[in-house]
Parts: sequence; C-alpha cells; structure tokens
Amino acid sequence: MRKSYVGNNIKLNEFDALIRVTVEMSKYLYPYIREILKSKEDLEENSIIWNDFNKRFIELIKERFNMDSMRVKKLLNKAENDEIIIKSLLTLSFCISNQGYQKLKNFLYEF
Amino acid sequence: MQNKLSFHQSSVNLEIIGLPDYSNNENKDQISIISQWKLTIIDKPLIEGKIEHLGPIMNAFYIYSNLLIKNEIPIFESKLIDIKADNLHIHNIVLKSSKPNVKPLILKIGNSLLSDTINCFDQLNESPKVIIKKPDVPNNFPGKLRNGLNKKLKFSNFFIPPFIAICSLILLSSSFIYFYNPFESIEKKELINAD
Repeated sequence: MRKSYVGNNIKLNEFDALIRVTVEMSKYLYPYIREILKSKEDLEENSIIWNDFNKRFIELIKERFNMDSMRVKKLLNKAENDEIIIKSLLTLSFCISNQGYQKLKNFLYEF
Repeated sequence: MQNKLSFHQSSVNLEIIGLPDYSNNENKDQISIISQWKLTIIDKPLIEGKIEHLGPIMNAFYIYSNLLIKNEIPIFESKLIDIKADNLHIHNIVLKSSKPNVKPLILKIGNSLLSDTINCFDQLNESPKVIIKKPDVPNNFPGKLRNGLNKKLKFSNFFIPPFIAICSLILLSSSFIYFYNPFESIEKKELINAD
C-alpha cells in the first residue's frame, strides 16, 4: 500500500516492534484520540476537530501511499473512510493499558 | 475500616470498596473481598452493584468492544446487561435490575466514553491491589492465528521461486524456436531420403 518500489515483507520481530511503538504512541496521544472520537459523536458542536483530522489524514495518505491501489482509494473515499478511521481510532484507544501490546496484537491477528 | 480504590480515565471513574483477606496474609491496603463498586460516568446516572454483577458487566463491555472492532454485528445480550450500537458513534446500554418491579436503566454513551470505561476496567484488571476473579480478556490467541503471519511468508517464499524458474524456462525455450524449425528439419530429412 505504501509508495515503494521494493516489495519487502515485514519480518515478525519488525511487526512486534511496530506494535510496541504504536501502543506507546497511543498512550501518549490518548487525549487527542478521545477528542477526535468525541467530535464525531456530535458533529454540530465539534465539526472543526473531525474535519481537520480527516483533512490531514487524507493529505498523509496521498503523500505516502500508492494511489493506484484499490485499498488506498477506499481510504480516500469520504463516504467509506469514516468507518475505517473510527474503528482504527477505537482500536488504538482500547490498547493504552499495560497489556495494550498484547491486545493490539490480538486485534491485528484477528482482523 | 474498608479500603477504597479508584480507577480514573478522563470522564469515567470506577470505585472499588472492600476488605483484604487477612486469613490469606494479605496486606492491609489490598482488596479481595469486594463489598461494593461504583461506576461514575460524567453526565450519566451512577452505576453500582454487588461483586457478582461486576464480572458480567466487565465481560459484556469487553465482548462488545471486540465485536465492534472486528466488523461483526455489535450486539451483546444477557440477563443483566444489553449493549447495542445505535450507530457507529453511539452505544445503547440497558442495565436490568435483579429486583422485581424495578425499571431497567438505559444509558447512551459515545465512543469516547466507551473507551474510557474499557480503560478503567483494564486498570482494575492490572491492579495488584485488587484480587478478584478477573474476566477473560482475550489476550491469548490460538496457535493457528499466532503462526499465521509466519506461515504466510513461508508459503510465498516456498512457491514464488519455482514459479519464476518455470516461467523463465518457458520463455528461454520458446526463444529457441528462432534457431530451430522442426518442419524445416523434416523436409531436409525427406530430401536426404529421396536422394
């Protein structure tokens, strides 16, 4: 999915390390993740937070991902990406405990 | 004198009140005999109950949150608690009383409050000061899933090299058609025989 001409498969230890980094970042960013989720609950009151986040998300996808991929196109489609973004944010927000690494790993394996 | 422990996450607070089990040589600041628990969610009615209600309620929240993430239908129903998704952002919780003629308590919480509640339960689960029969958080996944990633990589590594080898062999051998024409050689043989 990334803009890369080298199709290397991720190794298991690299996958584990990425999960650990993601969990630590989620702990640190939990207040922000929570605010983004909350802003979507009542769009009339907090639409600025959600719109800013969505705009930046799309910018980053366009910058770093392969735009020819169908899965990437789905991420950019505003009608479809709401559910993907919310579920991703929810997954991160559920994994901020000390056992967050194991929880996130389970979620990803069962995805 | 009872011990009181609080687990706090943003807008949700979980309070556990109880006593240590001195017969088990526990420290005086521990809780293993829970007499009461209270779940306070800002702007929502207080949820409280006995120890036998805490485990099923925690389980319900864990199972529901798992269903929500795994793209399955997010519905959890039991004798004590029902949780359903109104939409992608709002969750409807119905807490049923065990006493007769008591109306169920209905709460609507958003994703932010749901994640706060789950995090409070996680803190309780991980606390060394509270000893309870903890609900089964799905932490141990089956061996099949654990090895899935490895197997996938090995599978592709196993099949792709011979596939490329066969393709290159076909391409290489088809190029020989320019140097050797089987019909021409048959004609030549016929000419030699005719001579």
